[in-house]
Amino acid sequence: MSLPSSIDKPSGLRQGVEAGAAAAPLTGVNQAGSAAMHIALTASWRRVAGSGILRIACFFGLIILLVYGLNAAINSGLRSLTTNQFGVFNRMVGGTINADILITGSSRALSHYDPRIIESTTGLPTFNLGLNGSQTDLQLAVLKTYLKHNRKPRIVLHNLDAFSFVMTREVYDPAQYMPYLGENDIYDTLHHVNPKVWWKCKYLPLYGYAVHDMRLDWMLGPLGLVGWSPRQVFFQGFNPRVGRWTEDFASFKAANPDGVSFEIQPAGVQVMRELIQVCQQNGIRLIFVYSPEYREMQALTRNRAAIFNEFHELSQDYSVSLWDFSNWDHAGEIEYFRNSQHLNAEGAELFSTDLAHRLVEELAQLSQPAALNAPPPSRPPVKK
Amino acid sequence: MLFNSLAFAIFFPLVVVLYYSLPQPRRLALLLLASCAFYMAFIPAYILILFVTITIDYIAGIYLERSTGPARRIWLVGSIVSTCAVLFVFKYFDFFTGNFVALAGLIGWHLSPVVAHIILPIGLSFHTFQSLSYVVEVYRGKQRAEPGFMTYATYVMFFPQLVAGPIERPQNLLHQFSEKHEFDHARITAGLKRMAWGFFKKLVVADRLALYVNDVYAAPRNFSGLQLTLATLFFAYQIYCDFSGYTDIALGAAQVLGFKLMENFRTPYYSLSIGEFWHRWHISLSTWFRDYVYIPLGGSRSGLRRWLLAVMITFTISGLWHGANWTYVVWGALNGVYLLLGVATKNIRDRMFAAIGLPVGSLPRRAIMLATTFGLTCAAWVVFRAKNLTDASYVLTHFASGWNLHQIGTEQFLLRQMPIALAAILVLEVGQLWPGKFPVPSIVGRLPLAPRWALYASFVMAVLMFGVYRNTQFIYFQF
Repeated sequence: MSLPSSIDKPSGLRQGVEAGAAAAPLTGVNQAGSAAMHIALTASWRRVAGSGILRIACFFGLIILLVYGLNAAINSGLRSLTTNQFGVFNRMVGGTINADILITGSSRALSHYDPRIIESTTGLPTFNLGLNGSQTDLQLAVLKTYLKHNRKPRIVLHNLDAFSFVMTREVYDPAQYMPYLGENDIYDTLHHVNPKVWWKCKYLPLYGYAVHDMRLDWMLGPLGLVGWSPRQVFFQGFNPRVGRWTEDFASFKAANPDGVSFEIQPAGVQVMRELIQVCQQNGIRLIFVYSPEYREMQALTRNRAAIFNEFHELSQDYSVSLWDFSNWDHAGEIEYFRNSQHLNAEGAELFSTDLAHRLVEELAQLSQPAALNAPPPSRPPVKK
Repeated sequence: MLFNSLAFAIFFPLVVVLYYSLPQPRRLALLLLASCAFYMAFIPAYILILFVTITIDYIAGIYLERSTGPARRIWLVGSIVSTCAVLFVFKYFDFFTGNFVALAGLIGWHLSPVVAHIILPIGLSFHTFQSLSYVVEVYRGKQRAEPGFMTYATYVMFFPQLVAGPIERPQNLLHQFSEKHEFDHARITAGLKRMAWGFFKKLVVADRLALYVNDVYAAPRNFSGLQLTLATLFFAYQIYCDFSGYTDIALGAAQVLGFKLMENFRTPYYSLSIGEFWHRWHISLSTWFRDYVYIPLGGSRSGLRRWLLAVMITFTISGLWHGANWTYVVWGALNGVYLLLGVATKNIRDRMFAAIGLPVGSLPRRAIMLATTFGLTCAAWVVFRAKNLTDASYVLTHFASGWNLHQIGTEQFLLRQMPIALAAILVLEVGQLWPGKFPVPSIVGRLPLAPRWALYASFVMAVLMFGVYRNTQFIYFQF
């Protein structure tokens, strides 16, 4: 078995074939052929390795391994955190919240409703699932995820906003969702917002953290792995804001002297309907709450009447209570607000107390004696 | 296609594998095809503009070589005018008509402004200048006209340097398309390392600093003097790392494919004078202007007045090359003034240094010169970066006002990003000592395999995780 010498073979291959031919008389022709092929391939492989391709491939292989490894470490670490937004989500998907009163909504929900006050007043375990920078579609996805993993709450207080009928256009702080993309309700909603981005976040390791985590939250992951969590600023999901009123509203007014209007998107109305249906199908009493908004801002919302008409219509169609705190006693006092949309910590304390009183009344009407066992709350003094 | 995109992460390895798998005669076609795909990833239709300028200059090159006498000059002028016309229409039309209308208004002619609103083709100024240099070199007889259309088209469109240079000369690059490039492990890994360093500069340094710079320069009146100062220093690093990072990626990518492109930067912020700065900053453009504008205008050998004029014209056009805005024009002219003042005051400065006992080459003297040059450059960058001359003037006059150490961060650039930004600048400065007394790559290169790979892999992972990948087009693409 020899090849014509005129054929120009790679030197490694030629040497291998020749070596195999030389060994043939000792081992038999078939074995010799197989050995020759083996040697030829080995030599050829060595040549490839010698050229450095293998080394380069190995290095990139190492990088790929590191990428997968780091991705797994970050996800695992973030899912080990016990504090703040990740802590809330971890408790949610871990099924350890199991509240009787659940608060849902945007950052206004997150920073307005203190579950500790509501819980001590009503005697019912309460948790705040408000989500920074979120619209109703994402709030619904989080509620569904909550219901999948936790005992059904008796009451959901859903906070309404002027932008409740606006669908998510851009996801705020995408990193907060990255470890939870395995949750179908969350992933499907995010994917619906931006399909081109979110499939990559789910399936390409590190993509979401490297590209969309502008706040570098991923750095908490490795720390979470070793049991560290950042200082807790979320209390039963409630995140009080300590900031004071700034000049932002004055700038806003100057920039928008004729006010602003918020869209009422049909898809947004549909999402609200779905939220109601999800609650009703699960036997949950849903209460819409329009938490306090700075009075002057209310006047600047041009289509506020139209938005509230929609709220009332939904409320009537599905027999959902609507508690409107637009005319809250302190809605015109800037010392209780951080900005036109958000109460500060003191304002949140006052509002939560007022809301808790109303809840006690509601629960009494629903003849829930257990709820009345709790002592009446003492309202904190109003600071002027 | 952006270098810092997922598409390029797939595109480039694919091109490299195909390139080395194909026999030599087919590699050119692959490069041209790849370059077309690379360019068409931006705005596909604009490839036609490129095709038109390539065809004109290719034909002009051939006829320039064949013809003699006035015909040669006609071919040269025809080629230059048509190439520049494309540049004018797409880049300067709105600027010139707008200014013309404004000027006419001053003398009582009230004209309606004609605004074309054309999107500028990516990298138009770069490949236009590369085409022009080819035609001029053929005219001067320093370069043979390229007979192969595909070779010439690939020379203009070669994807690593298509959209932001370096602006190559035909003598350096054209012949490389006819050479066979073997798979060479050492050269390829060197190219990959250079690309990694370029990605670090672009993604970790430039794009992170850009978050701060963009916030501050969008509305400078909302920020304190400290923030204005930081933003200006950050912009100096941002623009350097953005552009030199692009160049490193371009040179590295070309090196992987076996090509050697010209160097574009030599640590320009270590310059001791503005003149030296321009020998170390965007070298391919500086030498282009030197060879095709400054020297033809008389250079330094035609008397003082002619020289002054040549310097100012060259720098002003250089500013205009960067963009159709008065800020760029003023930036270019300002650099011209810097250069002239530097020459005019050289003797005085030398005497001053001598008087305070700082001899030539002493460390304090070099430090003063370096700091002065960097300061002047930063002041010029303010004009370059500002949205308009009013903003530039505000920034330049408010560096010292209202410093507040508790007010440093911005909306996009949270304070937690500051340590990363500063650490990135530190790594950059250490890395830039490569050719000096602390040659990091050669020290790392001598390590055993395991620690060496660990360092390389850590660097790659750091770039991946600390880079910024959003809204991150290279600054010089717009030019």
